[in-house]
Amino acid sequence: MPSGTQARKYRLQGAGLDLALPYLMLAPGLTIVLGVLVYPLWDGLRASTRAYRYGSPISNVGFQNYVQLWSDAQFLNALWVTVKFVALSVSFEAVLGFALALFCLHEFRGIRLLRTVLIIPMVITPVVVAIVFRLIYASDAGMLTALSKATGGGEVQILGNPLNAFIGLVALDVWEWTPLMFLILLAGLQSLPHEPFEAARVDGAGAWRVFADLTFPMMRPVLAVAIVLRTIDAFGTFDQVFVLTRGGPGEATRLISIYGYDTAFKFQQTGYAAALFVTIGLVVLALAFSAIRLLRRVDAS
Amino acid sequence: MSNRLSRILTTIFVLAVVLLPIYWLVSTSLKSNREITQEGTLYPHVPTLDNYVRLFTEKQFGSYLTNSLVVTFFSVAIALIVGAMGAYAIARFRLPFAAERKVGLFLLTLRIIPPVVILIPVYLLMLSLGLLDSWLGLIATYTAFNVTFCVWMMESFFREIPVDLEEAAMVDGDSRFGAFRRITLPLAAPGLAATAIFAVLVTFNEFLFALALTATPRAMTMPRGTATLIGRIDTDWASMAAAGVIGALPIVFFALLVQRHLVRGLTMGAVK
Repeated sequence: MPSGTQARKYRLQGAGLDLALPYLMLAPGLTIVLGVLVYPLWDGLRASTRAYRYGSPISNVGFQNYVQLWSDAQFLNALWVTVKFVALSVSFEAVLGFALALFCLHEFRGIRLLRTVLIIPMVITPVVVAIVFRLIYASDAGMLTALSKATGGGEVQILGNPLNAFIGLVALDVWEWTPLMFLILLAGLQSLPHEPFEAARVDGAGAWRVFADLTFPMMRPVLAVAIVLRTIDAFGTFDQVFVLTRGGPGEATRLISIYGYDTAFKFQQTGYAAALFVTIGLVVLALAFSAIRLLRRVDAS
Repeated sequence: MSNRLSRILTTIFVLAVVLLPIYWLVSTSLKSNREITQEGTLYPHVPTLDNYVRLFTEKQFGSYLTNSLVVTFFSVAIALIVGAMGAYAIARFRLPFAAERKVGLFLLTLRIIPPVVILIPVYLLMLSLGLLDSWLGLIATYTAFNVTFCVWMMESFFREIPVDLEEAAMVDGDSRFGAFRRITLPLAAPGLAATAIFAVLVTFNEFLFALALTATPRAMTMPRGTATLIGRIDTDWASMAAAGVIGALPIVFFALLVQRHLVRGLTMGAVK
């Protein structure tokens, strides 16, 4: 939202080019956005009410694609896997990120190095992150197997086992995105006012009391923003799963994005896939806007 | 001191968790496939650069790199120019129907929708325009995504710059656009840099649209090309690792180089 600073605005005055200037400045950007994002969104809505064969629309089916979704066991499974994945990953990232941010709040030797290194996982190309984890999990060539063999054990099975593969995917996400959570929360902690903490120290409050009565309540809005951001992003996770497991074994790691992609491009059910993606888009938007509303209420109180 | 010791141990533990996977990637990329699968060594006993050579001589990694650079450069540059103008218009002018506020919210909404939602229609659009498997198709798509982000970021930077400076320039005879170009834009340069850095990171790493919109080394970007490598030869761990290193190296280097901007841009957007 626009910040509190009230920017003065020019009144439109004069004539000719000056009057048209704001529109001329907005036009190129809006043209691109309308052409490549908004028109496709509209087209996607239309596509979601059609049946296709080999990529060409053959008939209008109304809302049938949307209705069909809710009796599609594979869709419901993908939705469930996605919800589990998002809930687990984001919870771990929030707790670990918060702990790390509290740990790094006080300057000490090595903190710069720590912060620098922590940037690496979140900037590495997601596809490469997935490669890294395949090289860790692979039963023949993986790091876990190599470590196990070095200590006298045997092959370690991760990606061949449904539960392990799912946990492995969550571990990948936690490795990649805890740093983002950490950076946002650290910035939040650093922007807290000093006075209440000094007062608490004067009163002799213990570390836990300070955290429970001061730090956590004051950090709630920032924590909420960080969690909302990560949740929205995690819902769209695709690259890492596509490379790590392709959704397998079975349907253990088949997130909604993977199922939608396969439906569209592997099974050529374009209209059905469009309906699936529209549904997901609506869910994420609803999530985001209710979170924003909730945050405003917290802010106001 | 036990406090100090626990700090050191925690730091080492965190560093190990972050760096061990990266060590394994680099170390695997320096081994032969035989050493990887049959001996399972913990470090390369016979280090070799063959895997890297193979990527460029046999696997067209050079084209993937070129495509990534071209596509990222043009889509970020166009989005920055177009986005800066749009953001300025929203930040400084009153538009009819209070549109200056609505445009911002509208762009934010587009930003929230997962990209996968418009994947199919964008694919159909590029198919009908004959832009599949081309630089132009990717550049158009990425530019659109980047514009929403750039306008949203830069608007807040422009708001923070006092209007008086522009007014002074205009009193001295500068046109309004001239004042924007000569006064406001340079003052917003740090914000523009942070925006650009972010856009570069996201664009360079993008995979989903590259997967759907490209099919040959003519237009495949690096993440896309790397994924192809995995599908085709599943057990060539050595090439895969080398591709991973080359795919990660430029962007990690870039990020560490500009990390102050990166952290600032990132947290500014989130905390506000």
